Amino acid sequence: MSPRALILIVATRGLYPLMLLVSVWLLLRGHNAPGGGFIGGMIAVAATSLLAVANGADRALARLPLGALRLAAAGVLLSLFSGVPALFMDLPYMTHLWMTLPLGFTELKLSTVLLFDIGVFAAVWGALGGFCAQAIAIDEETA
Amino acid sequence: MADTPTSSAPAAPPGAASRLGWLALLPLTLFALALVELSHGGLPATLTLPWIPSLGIDLRFALDGLALQFVLLITGIGTMVMIYAGGYMVGVAQRTRLFVLLLLFMVAMLGSVTSDNLIVLFLFWELTSLTSFMLVGFKHEYESARRSAQQTLMVTAGGGLVLLAGLILLGDIASTFTISGLLASSDQWRDDPRVPAAVVLLIIGAFTKSAQLPFHFWLPNAMAAPTPVSAYLHSATMVKLGVYLLARLDPAFDSYALWQQILVPVGAATAAWAMLLTLRERDLKRILAWSTVSALGTLVMLVGLSGVGAATALGAFLLAHALYKAPLFFVAGNIDHCTGSRNIDHVSGLAPRMPWTAAAAALAAISMAGMPFSLGFVAKDLIDIAKAEGGVLFWVSYSSVFVNAITVAVAGVAAIRVFWHRGGDAIPGEVHEAGWSMRLPPLLLAALGITLGILPWIANPLIEATALSVNPATDFKGLTQAVDHIHALGAIALAAVLGMIVFTFWDRLHRISERGLARIDPVSAIAWYERLLAAIPASAGAVTRRLQNGRLTTAATTVLVFVSVLVALSLWLGRPLPMPEMMAPSLAVAGASLALIIASIAVCVIRTPFVMLLISGFVGLGSALLFLFLAAPDLALTQFAVEVAFVVVIAAILLRMRHLGLNPVDEPPVLPRALIAIGTSAVLMTLLLTATSGPQGSTLADFFAQASYLEAHGRNVVNVILVDFRAVDTLGEIAVLAIALLAALPLLALLRQRKNGKDGLA
Repeated sequence: MSPRALILIVATRGLYPLMLLVSVWLLLRGHNAPGGGFIGGMIAVAATSLLAVANGADRALARLPLGALRLAAAGVLLSLFSGVPALFMDLPYMTHLWMTLPLGFTELKLSTVLLFDIGVFAAVWGALGGFCAQAIAIDEETA
Repeated sequence: MADTPTSSAPAAPPGAASRLGWLALLPLTLFALALVELSHGGLPATLTLPWIPSLGIDLRFALDGLALQFVLLITGIGTMVMIYAGGYMVGVAQRTRLFVLLLLFMVAMLGSVTSDNLIVLFLFWELTSLTSFMLVGFKHEYESARRSAQQTLMVTAGGGLVLLAGLILLGDIASTFTISGLLASSDQWRDDPRVPAAVVLLIIGAFTKSAQLPFHFWLPNAMAAPTPVSAYLHSATMVKLGVYLLARLDPAFDSYALWQQILVPVGAATAAWAMLLTLRERDLKRILAWSTVSALGTLVMLVGLSGVGAATALGAFLLAHALYKAPLFFVAGNIDHCTGSRNIDHVSGLAPRMPWTAAAAALAAISMAGMPFSLGFVAKDLIDIAKAEGGVLFWVSYSSVFVNAITVAVAGVAAIRVFWHRGGDAIPGEVHEAGWSMRLPPLLLAALGITLGILPWIANPLIEATALSVNPATDFKGLTQAVDHIHALGAIALAAVLGMIVFTFWDRLHRISERGLARIDPVSAIAWYERLLAAIPASAGAVTRRLQNGRLTTAATTVLVFVSVLVALSLWLGRPLPMPEMMAPSLAVAGASLALIIASIAVCVIRTPFVMLLISGFVGLGSALLFLFLAAPDLALTQFAVEVAFVVVIAAILLRMRHLGLNPVDEPPVLPRALIAIGTSAVLMTLLLTATSGPQGSTLADFFAQASYLEAHGRNVVNVILVDFRAVDTLGEIAVLAIALLAALPLLALLRQRKNGKDGLA
């Protein structure tokens, strides 16, 4: 992969944010329609892989929020703690809690489930994204 | 064991004692409480705390006669050991650790003997093995101590595993884990066909703990421990735990043929064989250790004997042995402490320098030899009566003459040879008597052994309670010095005479036995143990080299063949294979399936790595398509995303390999692999057909469909299961993901670094 493919680089410029948007959309709709943290996370991994192929693994790794390892760890911790609030209400660990915020025109459902799913998303993105980018990196030309 | 450090404690000023010795007040208090319990006659006392009621495991403790005797031994000898260790361990580094471990051990022992639940008993039993391991390895800076500790642990903890199997089996047969309940209902379950297996397992467990043949070798090696430990664990208490367990279960098995057929011959053989091995030793502690093994053999034999007198003899001998063997170990410790050697060739004529220790040794030896006016005499008499009554095999009776003779000789060595004989090396001038904290315990215990011999009725309540809990039919007549059994008196006289002869010719017999036994060393139990120990890493290495040789093909073949054979077997042995109903698939499903089949065949034929990868990626995407048509959009999406990541990673690796000039597809024999592949697929297909053709339990599906929105506020059942119903599973999975990255990152970084370094050089 010596010379960077120009078309790929240009396309990636638009595709990368688009794929991330799709991944977040999948994450948020997941509770009622096909999607969810894992699938969303995998799409984000695909975006990171694309960026790594087009612009170099280090660029892709740098674009991961917090960096690969910390992102994965933060995801696991977020999921871990999403079950804690239930303990304060004398419910078993991981009993999910829901609340509804009225916004006038519509209402927003907030829940600890969403926190959990975001944690899954971050863990998948960080762990697999980091792994894919690093794997791609082993065959890169050194700068 | 030649390099056992003999001089274990540094010289300390006489009379100095560590303040840690005051810890003796703890066991002393318990001892007093146990005595009060005995005098009140409140036996059996019980205490129950619920623990795991669903498994029938409660922290249930019961104190009956047998348990009380052990409690008195543990706390009584424990008090003396603490006092003694206070003097013995002065100036030794880490001595606090020794005291902590001793107390921990004491708790474990008390728990073992008072537990009324098999599983709880096992837990405490294992705790005694662990503390014993740490105490034997106390002087861990010596390799020999570490080896002995390892041996102790391997034998006793290995036996513990066998015991656990036996206890679980027994509890299952009797359908209770409560010991008292199990003994009470023994008539109902004794004819169960699994009882022989349980009996054998239990006996093996007990034999490892109590150092019976062929597990006898660990006990003398455990003498690497400091003397207070040897006196406590390896003569008075822990090694008797196996005897305790056998005696505890004896009411259920007393007339059981297998029980007698194993316990009596093995006990008698151990008693005799250990005495023969005694002759070979020069180290006083090891001599005493072998005689302990022999005494344990006698105790095991007594448990096996079915007559009514055996239980009384067992109770009396337990007490007598503890009261003479512990002081003799203390004596050996004093000699070691004051002269720096325990070798009977180097130590002699110590009596003028150590009069108190010599007196203690003499009192203990009288009891050990079974001379009149000692508790040992009372016990020996009872043992002979029990043997006569139990109708033992003729060689068992003869072996006891041999055992008694050498016991007398060992008593002579410990009390006469080292203290009164002249000769051997000259004693250094500065040898002096040990401090009071080291003189008092052996003197007190040995004197108690004589006192109880002269006034045996003092021990009556204790021995009667013990005998009754081992054999409820015991007709206890009271201990007495008046021997009404003329044969027993003759046997004791004979033992005394033979013993004096053995004692006189000890050195010559030592040389003979040394020469004779050296010849059978290669087939001795210890040699087999060493071979087994060496075989473990060797066989593990061989298996690992074979299965984990670093070739992916080997690993894949192993896994696939193993799984296929396993699944095929269970399918074959299971219910007959049903024929699934055939339905015409929809056009889309048929098309996707056809594309999948074609692509799969293509992967097998093509040898160019990249094309192969792309087509296998196509297989994945085709599966995603199929899932979509089969109304599983979540699965399709996931499959799609995973496939992308998979292709990208493999492509990167393939590229790297090509740059390095490695050919990823080697040319193996195709036919065997093709057969494996076809076989595995056939088995998997059969499995799938079987799984889907049977009646589908729909309760789970119905539940999730129902509860998904009502309870978890989500319509996507798959996602709801992942994040809500099974959230903890998911949490575990993402944690694994993160940990996998943690492991992979340094490796990948290393690869990158190495490549950069290489490129830089080039």
